[in-house]
Amino acid sequence: MRNPLATLSADDRALLRRRLRTPVLTFLALLALLAVNVTLGATLPFAQVWIVELAVVAVMVALILLVSMEVIHEPPLIRLFSGLGFFWVAILVGMTLTDYLAR
Amino acid sequence: MSKGLADGVGVARAEHFESVAQQREAATLGIWAWLITELLLFSALFLVALITRIQHPEATIAAAKHLKFWIGATNTVVLICSSLTMSMAIEFSRMGWQRAMVRAMLATAALGGLFLVLKGYEYYADWAEHMMPFLSDRPFALAETPAARLFVNLYYVATLLHALHLFTGIALLLGMTWMAAKAGFLARHQNWIEVYGLYWHFIDLVWILAFPILYVVNR
Repeated sequence: MRNPLATLSADDRALLRRRLRTPVLTFLALLALLAVNVTLGATLPFAQVWIVELAVVAVMVALILLVSMEVIHEPPLIRLFSGLGFFWVAILVGMTLTDYLAR
Repeated sequence: MSKGLADGVGVARAEHFESVAQQREAATLGIWAWLITELLLFSALFLVALITRIQHPEATIAAAKHLKFWIGATNTVVLICSSLTMSMAIEFSRMGWQRAMVRAMLATAALGGLFLVLKGYEYYADWAEHMMPFLSDRPFALAETPAARLFVNLYYVATLLHALHLFTGIALLLGMTWMAAKAGFLARHQNWIEVYGLYWHFIDLVWILAFPILYVVNR
């Protein structure tokens, strides 16, 4: 197997840029979203800030799931499986919190 | 999903599969079936943390003030970096750049190790602050608020379970790196890197949930 990292040709560099573009952009997006949450957590600018924090987390989870774990490119059966997992979690969290928040 | 495999990179078909594509899909489906059970396990723990916050807000906030927010944030950065190196390892495996792939896998394991070291230091700081209510010979700092004990115990269960998954993941990753460094690995088992990558990203995803639910929203 080749190890062209030491002596990258122009083609290799172009290939590397093309292949690593999505992982690097995802990495930067996750760091930016984390920075938002850490800033909000450290400064607590308003009382209901937890809603924004949880919304930011939801975006981070979606990014990891769809892009890093490549669910968006998977065949339909695997997309269904991964979606079902989060659907069950939604039922678990939704029904439990409905009870506690409505008391 | 494998996309754009280089020449000489692929999967050796096992005889009980009709095609390599079927074999790849079965492996991915299998790891997802397991990850879903893990997701439900961790989700139940995080849900209990949210309920504790709703039922006992003052005690939970008092307990969460003792958590090491900045170590938790640093550890989140460490795991996000490890997700990048794991994604790089997967891409290098598809490109057939074996040595670069092995280095990316080693970097991923090293970042996982760094996470565990920081977590260990955090536990030590908790011990020093008398924030381990399950130790009978060491009085709990918030003994006057029983609900704080509930939250802190839950924090340890959730984070120790995550650390156990990470430790197992590092051990598996090092074993796979040793195998992946051998000649011909990428011609026969390239999808092992992709399947393992799903597990590593999942560990990252669990911490992405744990950090805000335990550390951030309770401040």
